[in-house]
Amino acid sequence: MKKAWLIFLYSFCVYYFLKIIVGIKFRRAHFLKNTKQFIIVANHNSHLDTMALLAAMPSRLLVNVKPVAAMDHFGKTRLSSWFSRTCINAVLIKRHRDKVNPSLDPINVMLNYLDKGFSLILFPEGSRGIPEIAQPFKAGIAFVLRQRPHIPFLPAYMSGLGKAMPKGDNLIVPYGGRLVFGQLQTITSMSVDDILNQISAQLSVLKKPHKN
Amino acid sequence: MLNLGSFHSDIVIVVGLIFGILTIATILFATLKKLNPEKDYSELIQRTKSWWVMATVFIAATLLNNTISYVGIAFLSFLAFRELYSILNFRNEDRRAIFWALCAIPVQFYLAYIGWYGAFIIFIPIVMFLLLPMRMLVVGNMSGFIKSTATLQWSLMLTVYSLSHMAYLLSLPEVDGVVVDGRALLLFVVFLTEINDVLQFTWGKLFGKHKVVPKISPNKTWEGLIGGILCTIIFGYFLRFLTPLSPVEVVLVSLIIALAGFVGDIVMSAIKRDIGIKDTGSTIPGHGGVLDRIDSLSYTAPVFFHLIFYILY
Repeated sequence: MKKAWLIFLYSFCVYYFLKIIVGIKFRRAHFLKNTKQFIIVANHNSHLDTMALLAAMPSRLLVNVKPVAAMDHFGKTRLSSWFSRTCINAVLIKRHRDKVNPSLDPINVMLNYLDKGFSLILFPEGSRGIPEIAQPFKAGIAFVLRQRPHIPFLPAYMSGLGKAMPKGDNLIVPYGGRLVFGQLQTITSMSVDDILNQISAQLSVLKKPHKN
Repeated sequence: MLNLGSFHSDIVIVVGLIFGILTIATILFATLKKLNPEKDYSELIQRTKSWWVMATVFIAATLLNNTISYVGIAFLSFLAFRELYSILNFRNEDRRAIFWALCAIPVQFYLAYIGWYGAFIIFIPIVMFLLLPMRMLVVGNMSGFIKSTATLQWSLMLTVYSLSHMAYLLSLPEVDGVVVDGRALLLFVVFLTEINDVLQFTWGKLFGKHKVVPKISPNKTWEGLIGGILCTIIFGYFLRFLTPLSPVEVVLVSLIIALAGFVGDIVMSAIKRDIGIKDTGSTIPGHGGVLDRIDSLSYTAPVFFHLIFYILY
């Protein structure tokens, strides 16, 4: 039931809305079909980012791909928490480590979902910030990847979405943008800094404009 | 629904002509590729393929059903407008004004649909001209205000207002009891504009030497321009059965369409030069963005409309 609902919502409604009305160019990531599990790592400027990434997922995988979102924002009220879980299929985490309750620690929550077989969407910049300007990465992604080094990550870069729906403004104004995926890859080092550098280098390669 | 009874035989002739030209071009480029495998014809082949799609969509949207034509042209304007403001680096504060400008599209095309000429002709140049700066004032950030209001109004004129004249052709009232066939007029101006583009391009490629505007568009040559204009006039002359114009009028109108198309083309080149990009997008393979294709139309549509309006009414 949830699977059908998410497919209707993202593979159909959101997909055509983003492509035809908003004007974001992207291709459905059919190359992921045979990948069991992955972590999508993307830059973050807009709520539309998650929408676009989910719309680009092969519909069969959709129910298994969980965007990671901040609990203080997306789980503020019971309604928003319900919405995040049923309509975004999100994993809600705290923004900071929790040494007191290991079961609520954001890293453990993410590892837990990975161990259940889910794929994750992570925005290592943490918050949306100013459109088209990258913020320093939070280290959480590196901790997760270091604990599960066999799970590949997929860099994804989006531009223009922050102009279509920037932080602090909920009106969507169509704006030509794009979403591109890089290559699936595993981490090459166990050091947190190296992992973060690997990810940010991949995202800067995708940032360069290119002909489709 | 498809209404075969209202299909005039002259429209069928033009549709046949369009697909005939495309068939010849497709065969020609395929043969050239076979004969000189070392030369690169991929762009021409890609362009021709895209022409097939565009021609089919256009013919389907204009000839099958009148209401669909208005919606189709409105959507084309929307795509062109969105593409233009997306490359023009508007401020974040301009988003609300852009949203208002987008809302003007359905209104403008509705006015064309109901044939309210007075409102249609002033809605964007007067009403939106007054409203958009007002919406920007409310935001409160005045740094960049002049540039934003001017650019937004101009973008709206160049894409939405211009192209809406294509739609109004379909709403022209009858003259002295005779029905004006708007679809034939629309077909005439679109076909002539696009064939003029192709002819100027071809003449330029074959015989081009002397550049017209070397700083803006190095591919535009006097040979291409003159050869293209002459051929366009010939096409216009033989297609005059689509219009209620006399032979002399049709020659003049074709000449002006050819010149206007040329100007529209270099205006778009100038925009791209200014912001330093080659194509406005990658929506149409081989052609670039939607804007790269409708650049000439944004000049020829209003020019042709007003010539017809002046001559007929």
